[in-house]
Amino acid sequence: MAAESESLSPVSDEPQLVARARRGDREAFAALVERYADQAFAVAYGFLQHVEDSEDLVHDAFIRALERIDSLQPGSSFGAWFYRLLVNTALNRRKYLARRRMEDVPVTAAGGASPSLDSERAELRARLAWALGKLPSELETLVILHDLEGFTHPEIARVLEIPEGTCRSHLSRARRMLRDLLKEYQPHG
Amino acid sequence: MVETGSDRPIEGLEALKAPRRSEAQRAATNARILASAELPLARRRQPTSSLDVLAAWGRRGLVAASIALAILAGSLQPWRAWQQEPSQPVVLEEVIGAAGEPEGVPALLVAYSEPDLDAVAAAALLERNGNRSVIPENVEQR
Repeated sequence: MAAESESLSPVSDEPQLVARARRGDREAFAALVERYADQAFAVAYGFLQHVEDSEDLVHDAFIRALERIDSLQPGSSFGAWFYRLLVNTALNRRKYLARRRMEDVPVTAAGGASPSLDSERAELRARLAWALGKLPSELETLVILHDLEGFTHPEIARVLEIPEGTCRSHLSRARRMLRDLLKEYQPHG
Repeated sequence: MVETGSDRPIEGLEALKAPRRSEAQRAATNARILASAELPLARRRQPTSSLDVLAAWGRRGLVAASIALAILAGSLQPWRAWQQEPSQPVVLEEVIGAAGEPEGVPALLVAYSEPDLDAVAAAALLERNGNRSVIPENVEQR
């Protein structure tokens, strides 16, 4: 259940890890990667629906985070800051990949779903991915972070830098829009 | 907390969840990230004193000043060309040839020291005397 997990709960040694990573400490940076890479991959996959693209995205987000780590305010949560960077990178990457794929070979709405999935599951994925992709990006991000990856409202509020109330109301709106979109979905539309 | 109506997540959304990755896949991803991070981490390990920072800015300042000077010089070139008459090139043979003629340049003088007062006076007398000797001939005979 989404509200139960605390993906961004403060870890006591994190400020020290960030400070050491700033000074170029490999072990400290490796610890941050170890701590956030799995969840980052899951979030990236929520946006891209493609294993290799998601791995590339996580890689790029970590390197970008290292390059910009000086801009992280002392005492701020590395996790919230990193997921914000990841989400922004994911939205940009998806636009780029969509353009590239349109130029190459047309793919399903699921954006490169594994062929090993059975047709029913593939159909469901295609429907959901299509509907999710139709949402405005901020609403889509809310659905992915909350409903798919189990971030809490306070965590999402910190990641997206929006009030918690806005987060809740936008999520309700996103779900309503998704339901309406799923009703009008046509398999090859 | 009980969620009702539009507060419920969309049914079946978990179909979009990321597939479980093996330990080897996770390790490979992390290793790739750390390999790419080596260079930025090494750059961060280099000590930077305030003098280094100033020097870095100074270098940028020098580059900017050089570019500005080059642009200024480039922009002044047409102005200078317009201001100046085109100069005639001087050919060495013409100068040497002129030295041989009586009304031309008498000589090309190169001196490494200041002019000798006696030599200047003698040259002035020679010129006034039409390049004839100022010493009376009978004096030489004596």
